[in-house]
This record gives sequence, structure tokens and C-alpha cells, in this order.
Amino acid sequence: MVIFENVRKVYDDGTVAVNNLNLEIKEGEFVVLIGPSGCGKTTTLKMVNRLEECTAGKIYVDGNDITTVDPVKLRRGIGYVIQQIALMPHLSVAENIGIVPRLHKWEKNKIDKRVDELLEMAGLNPAQYKYRLPDQLSGGQQQRIGVLRALAVEPRVVLMDEPFGALDPISRDRLQNELLELQKKLKKTIIFVTHDIDEALKLADRIVIMRQGRVEQIDTPSELKNNPVNDFVKAFIGEERLAKISPEAPIDIIIEEPGLKVLPDTKASLVLNHLEDIGPESAQVVDRNGKWLGMAIVPDIKKVAKLGGYIKEAVRLERKLYIEEATLRDAAEMLADRDLPVPILDENNIFLGVVTHNGIARLTISRLQRKIS
Amino acid sequence: MNSDPTFMELLYKFVAKNYDRILFLTWQHIYISLIALGITIIICVPLGIYLTKNEKLTPYAIGLANIFETIPSLALLAFLIFPLGIGNKNAICALVLYAALPVLQNTYTGIKSVPPSLVQAARGMGMTEMQILFKVQLPLARPVLIAGMRVATVWIIGTATLAAAIGGGGLGKLIFSGLASIRYEVVFAGALPATVLALFADQGLKMVQEYYSPKNRAMRLARKAEKLEKINREEMEENCQENMVSG
Ligand SMILES: Nc1ncnc2c1ncn2[C@@H]1O[C@H](COP(=O)(O)OP(=O)(O)OP(=O)(O)O)[C@@H](O)[C@H]1O
Ligand SMILES: [Mg+2]
Repeated sequence: MVIFENVRKVYDDGTVAVNNLNLEIKEGEFVVLIGPSGCGKTTTLKMVNRLEECTAGKIYVDGNDITTVDPVKLRRGIGYVIQQIALMPHLSVAENIGIVPRLHKWEKNKIDKRVDELLEMAGLNPAQYKYRLPDQLSGGQQQRIGVLRALAVEPRVVLMDEPFGALDPISRDRLQNELLELQKKLKKTIIFVTHDIDEALKLADRIVIMRQGRVEQIDTPSELKNNPVNDFVKAFIGEERLAKISPEAPIDIIIEEPGLKVLPDTKASLVLNHLEDIGPESAQVVDRNGKWLGMAIVPDIKKVAKLGGYIKEAVRLERKLYIEEATLRDAAEMLADRDLPVPILDENNIFLGVVTHNGIARLTISRLQRKIS
Repeated sequence: MNSDPTFMELLYKFVAKNYDRILFLTWQHIYISLIALGITIIICVPLGIYLTKNEKLTPYAIGLANIFETIPSLALLAFLIFPLGIGNKNAICALVLYAALPVLQNTYTGIKSVPPSLVQAARGMGMTEMQILFKVQLPLARPVLIAGMRVATVWIIGTATLAAAIGGGGLGKLIFSGLASIRYEVVFAGALPATVLALFADQGLKMVQEYYSPKNRAMRLARKAEKLEKINREEMEENCQENMVSG
């Protein structure tokens, strides 16, 4: 779907941004470009929609050499999420998402419907958000709108330049999950740029590791982890990840009771008092049948408590692992992202307990001791 | 009791006798100012846009406008007598030169202040250069652009009073003839409408500026959202009622 053939980019000032890139991306494939700052990721994307022209080599999109296609027409067929988000500040959310459909001369009704559909898909209530200006959105919401804008006319190829760049780990994790869900349904050809190896490993069908304009390795996430071609790639993926403290062990050995488990219709202020007494930063919300309804963390609980609400209004759903498929590594990764307990559920969303840093530490220590003895 | 009439009485008498002339001169004043402003905008806005794409020329163009702006307005009118003679044509030309700087400069800086990432995003989505100009750059530069026009308008209306000095029309005629005959009520009958005109024009443009401010835009959008919600709610209630009827 997108083919790079000996592509090279030298900027006017002599900077070699991309050097001899060869890459063939199949239709429906999710390819992630990753590498240190300045290695040429953004430049590579911009060459695909001709915001920058290649100095040498050829790029084909959908079988056509892009230099033979009118750039405006080419760009209208390719979704683009720019690194700086860049929502139009003078346009409402709906108008921002509608930019490309309007360029395609869609009818007003059709645009309207599409905007609602996209907002709903991203978990934003259309009636509430449609008529806001970008300034009236949180950073994470802005990034979502940036992504929706690129998907509006269902382009077959989508370029995403660090779309989840400046986000806290939790929102980031959630948006990544949303994108994966979306990709399962839409099957776009996506070229995605990131700095973050965890993001790359999570999302990619194939990862392209770049350094100073050159490709170091192109492989699937598991191949990269198991067979890094050189020390740079090894270092980049992270030594600790490769060290394999414990092979993909299931997590049930370290599940423990949560610090606080509450029913959904407990007053938030009550929970807050309790938490302040015992110390942990979070509570697991579980109903009478043992079904997990989410976890609540202190800042959220405080907000709800101030409004006199119930704990069920403060829950977050994105942080969780299912016992059948989760491994120690998954749990450790989640804990490394954020030091909060990870709730463990079974396939019916029944709450089994949590995994914490302490649990992992205890496990490691026990293994060390065993090795010594 | 045969005291001299007061200033107010004189003014009243003069206005009562000459109101059609004052109206005519006011209209002429507006006419001269509008033409001058129109020509200024037609020349300077496109020129300002052109300069953003040809940076090398910018210092020259802005420098030149700066020179015209620095020449005392009466002197500028006098200079233009050589090429253009006397009358309204000369006056309008002088007003245009005089008002060029704020419009030119604000167009240039307004467009320059649009973040490059927005332009790039627009281009990346497939807008043509014209669409980028009209849908992104100009709307975002609008506050600065209108601010420049406000300054230019006030200057033009004020300076247009001098047109009479070189044989042009407008309210300056009353001011100058009043000064020559030492009849202050006549001076006043010209100065007051000129002042009011300038104030109104300034306020009017300020209102345009405010209409487009993000705050007001947000408010208009909020109202739209409310309306939508109301419609939704009504629809829902209707559905409920239907359900109840059928149930
Ligand atoms: N317009 C330009 N003119 C000259 N050099 C440029 C230009 N744009 C980028 N470069 C240079 O090209 C190289 C690659 O830049 P690029 O933006 O592609 O990096 P990147 O991998 O996207 O980095 P980051 O992760 O920081 O976004 C860098 O050395 C950069 O300084
Ligand atoms: Mg970049």
C-alpha cells in the first residue's frame, strides 16, 4: 500500500534526515516508526503526503508514484495527525472534524452525521462536545479530535505523528486501547510515529527502529524482543525487558487482597476518609455479586466527594488485567507506568484481587534467595 | 436688553440655516473617507499577504509606508499638489498613503502570527494554498487585521478634514472657513460631526472585532448546543409519550 524505495531526504542546509529507506507496508498493516529525537521519523511521514519532497528514491502509495499525483489530491486521500495536534482554534470541534469532508464536498447532513458517529466512537458525547472550541477541551480530548479529524473520510492510509505525545500514562493507555479497537474494525494502513518503545510494542504489527536517518531493524514486536540485530536495538528496547526475570508466567501467584474494596453506592467522601486513614491511593469498586465496576484514585474521588457524589462516579475502567491472558511482564509494565495496584479480573469481570509493586518485589526476592541457596 | 448673542444661540442659528449644507458636507466627508479606506484595504491587504510570501521585500515596503506615515499630513497634501493638482483626488491619494502603514503592517504581522503548525496541518489535510489563506490564515489574523483598519479609519476621518485646505470637500470646509472668518460656531459645526463620525466608526469596528472574539464565538456555539439539546429532549419526551400511549 505504501512503498519506500531507496528514499533519501537531504534538507537545504545539508542535514541528511533520511538515508536510504526501504520499506513495503501492506494494506491494513500498522507500522510504527521509532527512534531517538531527530532520527527522521517526522520527515519520513511528511514525504508520504509530500509536505516534503524526497531528494532521491521513490515512494508509492496505492501503486502510484506519488510525484505523479497532484499533492492536494494525494493529501485528501491520506489521513494526517500532525505532531503538534494543531486543531484550528477558530473552529468548533465539529467544524474541525468536518474539514476534510468539506474539502471532499460532502453534503452538510452527511458531515453532521459522520461527526456525531466519530465523536461517539471516541467516547465523547456529541451533544456535549460538538460545539466546543478546542481551547475548551483537555489535552487528551484535543488529541482524540486530532485523530478523528484524520479518520473522517475513512482514508485508506493514515499517518500519525506522536498522536498521544503529551499525555499522562493513563490517558495514553486508554487512547492506545481505543486505537487498537478501532484498527480491528477499520483495518487502515497506519504509519505511526512514537518515542515510546512500550507504545510501539503494544500497537505495531511491525516496528521500524531508526537512528540518524538510517533503519536499524524492521521486525515484528516479538522478533525485535527475541532477536535484536545489534546493541543499539537491544539498548533501545530496554535491557530489563530482555533480561527475562521470569518467563511469561501467569500472575495468579502474586495476586493479593486490595487495600480497599467498596460497594458502588458508597458516598465518595466516606471512601476518601477511609483512604486517608489507611494510606493507599486507590479503591476497588465491586458490586454485591463480586463484579468489578472500576477503580477509583484519590484525585478523582476528591473531585466527586466535593460534589457530594458516590464512589461509582469516580471509577476508571482502563486499568485492569484478565487472569487468563496476563503475564507477570504485563503487570510489571503497568506498574512501571504508574505505581498503583492493578486489578485482576476473570473473564466474567469478577474481581479476584490486585497486583502491586510489593507483590512483585516479594516474588523477586524469593527467587533470588532460591538461587543463592 | 441688546446683549451679544451667546455661542449656543449663534450655533443654533447657523445650524438651522445651513443644516442641508452640513449634511451634505458630512456625507461628502464620509464618502471621501470610505473611498480612501477602501483603496487602502484593496491595496494594502493583498500587498501584506504578498509580503508574507516574499520576506525579502518586507523591510522596503514597510519602510516606505513608514515614511509616508511620518510626513506631516498637511505637508503630504502639499507635496501631492505637484503631481495631482488640487481637489478631492489629491486628498484621497494622500489619505491612502497616510493610512497604508497600519493596514499593511497588521496584515503582515497578523498572518505571520498564525502558528506554522496550523498551516502545515491545513496543507497536510489537502487544502489548496487559497483555502489555507481564506479558511485558516485570514480568519486567525482577523483581530489584528481589524485593529489595523480601526487605526486607519480614525486617522483617515481625522485627516480628511484637511482635504478642504487643498480645495477638496468634507467637513474641513466649515472648519477652515470658520477659522478664516473667526466664527467659532462655524468651526464647531464642522468639528463636531467629524469627531462623532470618528467615534462611531471606531466603535463600529470595535464591535465587529468583539463579535469575532473567541469568547463570543464560544458563547454563540454554547447557545447552539443548548438549542440542540432542547430539541433532543423534546424528541425524547415525545417518544416517551408515544410509548405510553401505545403501551
Ligand atoms: N525544515 C528543515 N530544515 C532543515 N532541517 C530539518 C528540517 N526539518 C527537520 N530537519 C532536521 O532533520 C532531522 C530529522 O528531523 P525529524 O523532524 O524528521 O526528526 P524526528 O525523528 O521526527 O524527531 P522528533 O522525535 O524530535 O520529532 C533533524 O536533524 C532535524 O533537525
Ligand atoms: Mg517528529
